[in-house]
Amino acid sequence: MAKKPAPKAAVQQKKQGGGINKAVVLMIVAALVPFSLPTVIIVGPTMLPTLTAYFSEKGNNRYAWLCVGGLNFSGVVPTLFSLYFGVHTMDEALRLLSEGGVLMWAYATAGIGWGIYKAMPPMVANWLSFSTERRVAGLKAAQRKLIEDWGDDVAKKAPK
Amino acid sequence: MAETEAVAEEQKAQEPSQPAGPPGVLRDRYFVRSNQPLPELSMPNAEAFVTEDKRDANRRLYALICRHDLPPRVNVMRALRGVSAMGLQQLVEWGPMTWPPAGRQCLTVIYERPAGAKVMANLKSEIRRVDEYDIGRKVIDPLVNAIKEMIGRGLTHRAIRPTNLYYMDSAGERLAFGDCVTSPAAVDQPLVFETIESGMCVSIGRGSGTYADDLYSLGVTLAFLILGRNPVANLDDDTILALKIRNGSYSTLVGDERLPLPQVELLRGLLCDDPLQRWDLDSLLMWQQGRRLSPLQPRVEKRAARGFPFLGKEYFNCRELSAAWSKNWEQAIPPVLEGKLELWLRRAIEDKERAQAVADVVRLALNATGDKKVAADIMLAKILMMMDPTAPIRYKGFNLMPDGFGSALAALLARRGDTRLLVEMVMREVPTLWFESSGDSRRPDSSHTEGNFRELRNFLTTMGLGFGMERCIYELNDAIPCQSPLLGEEYVVELKDLLPALNATGTKRPDAKQLPVDRHIAAFMAARARSDINRNLVAINDPDQGAALMALINLYAVFQYRLGPESLPGLAGWIGALCQPVIAAYHNRDKRKELEKEIPRLVRRGSIVEIYNLVEDVGAREQDKHGFSWAQAQYQAAEDEIKRIQNEDDDRGKEADRIGKQTAAVTGILIGMITVTITVILTVW
Repeated sequence: MAKKPAPKAAVQQKKQGGGINKAVVLMIVAALVPFSLPTVIIVGPTMLPTLTAYFSEKGNNRYAWLCVGGLNFSGVVPTLFSLYFGVHTMDEALRLLSEGGVLMWAYATAGIGWGIYKAMPPMVANWLSFSTERRVAGLKAAQRKLIEDWGDDVAKKAPK
Repeated sequence: MAETEAVAEEQKAQEPSQPAGPPGVLRDRYFVRSNQPLPELSMPNAEAFVTEDKRDANRRLYALICRHDLPPRVNVMRALRGVSAMGLQQLVEWGPMTWPPAGRQCLTVIYERPAGAKVMANLKSEIRRVDEYDIGRKVIDPLVNAIKEMIGRGLTHRAIRPTNLYYMDSAGERLAFGDCVTSPAAVDQPLVFETIESGMCVSIGRGSGTYADDLYSLGVTLAFLILGRNPVANLDDDTILALKIRNGSYSTLVGDERLPLPQVELLRGLLCDDPLQRWDLDSLLMWQQGRRLSPLQPRVEKRAARGFPFLGKEYFNCRELSAAWSKNWEQAIPPVLEGKLELWLRRAIEDKERAQAVADVVRLALNATGDKKVAADIMLAKILMMMDPTAPIRYKGFNLMPDGFGSALAALLARRGDTRLLVEMVMREVPTLWFESSGDSRRPDSSHTEGNFRELRNFLTTMGLGFGMERCIYELNDAIPCQSPLLGEEYVVELKDLLPALNATGTKRPDAKQLPVDRHIAAFMAARARSDINRNLVAINDPDQGAALMALINLYAVFQYRLGPESLPGLAGWIGALCQPVIAAYHNRDKRKELEKEIPRLVRRGSIVEIYNLVEDVGAREQDKHGFSWAQAQYQAAEDEIKRIQNEDDDRGKEADRIGKQTAAVTGILIGMITVTITVILTVW
């Protein structure tokens, strides 16, 4: 049975629901900003590659931001921890940011994330192809064994 | 006794001496000397040779070697073997024997050798008249006893003539009939010794007849002995037959000869042309005892007021005319179709009933929708039957008695003659018409014979091994050996001899592709087997060579089981070499290998039964069938799976892309989480 299209009102309601959630999250984040401005100063510029990944990818399978984001974040985390366990001030945050190493490290890990994201599909395709070929080879070997045991006629379709 | 020995010595001296060749040996006992022929004892279709009995060197015997192209009377041989009766030469032994001069097996019959000579050397010679007072004791007593012996065994002699009558002793006191088994019934008989009906037939189609035919021949023989000569020696067969039809047999043979009344009575009784009125054995015995019966007066057919002109001659009765027409078939049809016969019957014979019947048959032929020629032939056959209901079956110049059909067919086929006429006769149901027209009065077994012809028609309409002309030959001739070229020189009369003969052929390594069966062998088996093997014959004709061979092996296995012998390595080898299609009928390769390994072992044992059991294992076949079906299904499922995989290439690209991206995402998150964890640990530690 084909699924009936969702009614317009329901779609509208869903859209509205999603908008409310996003708005709530943004409000919470906005409320936290005054209390952790040093973190925002660090995270904002260092996590730019993740943001770029999120907006640059089109289509159904939009996973780039997760992969790039994970690695990008792993590059930012040591800086954030030195901030949290050191001097958690705006100056310190700006000083850390002004050190080229923090940004470079963050972008480098993001780059590695992109690398993984680009390399993974061909690798999976190769693996899938390999396993399919093995399966076909196995089936053909079974057919050869059947011919060996029962002769060429076994390949003819049995009359129904 | 001394005189007998002297005659024997004299005969021995007269025997032509030829270079000694290897003798034929019958039953490891009788040695037939191929270099010592006995022309004076030879039959027209069987040569005579001196024979010795290994167990009794003084026993005087001779052997007759049968021709392979004429079916001998084996049923008579079986019945007369060892019979010692006054008036009959003793048939000592018979059987197939390897005959060196012919280089093949020939049926051989061993007889007691007469000490005296033939009563008449040939039909032109003159002999001393038999004395009026001796005829009863010297001639009639032994000969009537001989006929009585044969009637008692349900047999007819059909070779009663003075040239086949021997003095068994040198004193000329003991008369006996000679051979009657080496050729088909009455084949050797000159026309004068045959009744009018039998005389109309071709010699190979006279049939066994009845004892009335024997008594007629006895009558003619007695006439010769009483007169001391052949009274019609200067006449040809056609003239003799015409005279017999016109004047009757007695008048033709005895004529105006003055004979004592008892002899006139005897000859009139035996030479009566009406078989129902002819003297039978009781009449003859009464005559012997001295009771005199009034002589039978010949009943001559009604003579027409004016003759029927045909081919420049005029015929005055139906019998004569029909005899002339039967010999000139094509010329006889126009006058019948033109209505001349009907007119002649109405006006000259004044037989309105017969004229009307003829008119009806002619009308039927003229209105026939099919082939006009066929309709005309059938019409003439019917007309001839109406004109002379006692005559034999007459069709396009080939005249025969129904019981002579088998021997005629066999002889024609053996001589590579044209059998189309006989086939046509059966296919157009001429014998049935004959039985319908003659009624059942003449032959007590006519319904059986009529049924046989219906069966023959079925055989002829069915093609394939085991049917056709060959089947007809073996069904009609109990004694004819199998004519198959596959049997080489072997003489196979009974089914039990067939497999050993094929075994002998098999040991000579025949053509590898040739099946051990052909049309003759299949027909021979069908005719001789006591059980119905038609189902097997149908299977033997199967276009699938494997199925055909299986049916044949089944048949041979049954025959080997029932009739032996236990070991037939030659035939088993022949069959084993042909088993490939049967083995190929199994799908399973392992089973095939097993069979290929097992068959040579069974071939060495010579057991067709075991070969059959091996290749026709129903359980194994069923298992093979199921296994093959399962394998086919497996193969097909694998094939479908491969196709499905190959058709999913595009989808797999998309799938790989999706999985790859997801994997990358998970990897990224995991790395992130691990990094956080490690950083926390390092920082807090």
